Amino acid sequence: MHPDDRSDEPRDPFIERLAAQLREPVSLSPEVERVVLDRLRARPTQRRWPAVAAGLAAGIAAAFAAGLLVGRWTAAPPAGGSSVRPVEFALRTPADSAVVVVGDFNDWNPAATPLHRASDGVWSVTVPLRPGRYRYTFIVDGTRWRRDPAAPPALEDDFGAPTSVITIAQR
Amino acid sequence: MTASPSLLQVSPSDAELVRRVRQGDLDAYGPLMTRYRLRFGRYAYHLLGNESDAEEALQDAFTLAYRSLDRCRHPERFAAWLFRILVNRCRTTGARRGREQARRAPLEAADGIGVHHPSEEAMRREELARGLGRLVPEQREAFLLKYVEELSYEEMAELTGAGESALKMRVKRACERLRDLLSDTDAS
Repeated sequence: MHPDDRSDEPRDPFIERLAAQLREPVSLSPEVERVVLDRLRARPTQRRWPAVAAGLAAGIAAAFAAGLLVGRWTAAPPAGGSSVRPVEFALRTPADSAVVVVGDFNDWNPAATPLHRASDGVWSVTVPLRPGRYRYTFIVDGTRWRRDPAAPPALEDDFGAPTSVITIAQR
Repeated sequence: MTASPSLLQVSPSDAELVRRVRQGDLDAYGPLMTRYRLRFGRYAYHLLGNESDAEEALQDAFTLAYRSLDRCRHPERFAAWLFRILVNRCRTTGARRGREQARRAPLEAADGIGVHHPSEEAMRREELARGLGRLVPEQREAFLLKYVEELSYEEMAELTGAGESALKMRVKRACERLRDLLSDTDAS
């Protein structure tokens, strides 16, 4: 903590006592590490980026054309030779309050990447991404996890919750 | 986020363990998790309100961090990077389950005192947990980051994406609410 950070706030002995109690160690199972290692051994990380993005995008576009999908993502060519590519995440949902996307690219922060609703009922946001493999999901109305129907599901079912994966190929 | 001096002295360093994991040594990830399980688990425990959810959030955060390790740009600051993932994971846990209102208040006392005759200490823990559970999530998060994790507002802003003014207001409201809820039972 920065020593001066609370210098402008009155020290409240009552709150300080609460905080002292909360700083005491808690008891959590050492099995946490074993569970994670077992999980990672069972489903190793796919560190190589398969050059499937283009084919995947074509497949998704075809599925869209066939009216099979209600969500979409697109990866436009990079501007100015940059390796960062604008990627659009989109979801058609009747939600009228909020849709956000969380994933590896924003550290799963639900406050970082809200989608905006267009008049056609599609929620979307464009995120600049470098080549790589990203898992993500949509959160609708702050409570419901929705996998992107326009993208393949993540193979690593780490959370027992629906997640999708997008791969941006190296150029 | 600032690592405590004791953590700075451990060997091998976080950066060394991260390097080994990146080279494919999965076993090197175990010591990294052990190093931060209790320290960061405390945050998850108080934010989510029970042991089970805290352990699940920790497991998810450790897994996410491992799978994203290539994106950890400053391995020597692995702890801060991991904590950011955990904080976000705790947020999405609440969103995923939508059960903030169903938050389980009673906490098992670390001393193992039975439920029929809880000690005064255990009762205080329970009251405190109930009080925390009645804060809105943003206030609970800000209070824990400020007073328990002892982050500066600048660090909190970087971690949460919220402005410092908003964070100060959340902390202030949290303190007021806790005082209202708990002053009768005084946690002294």
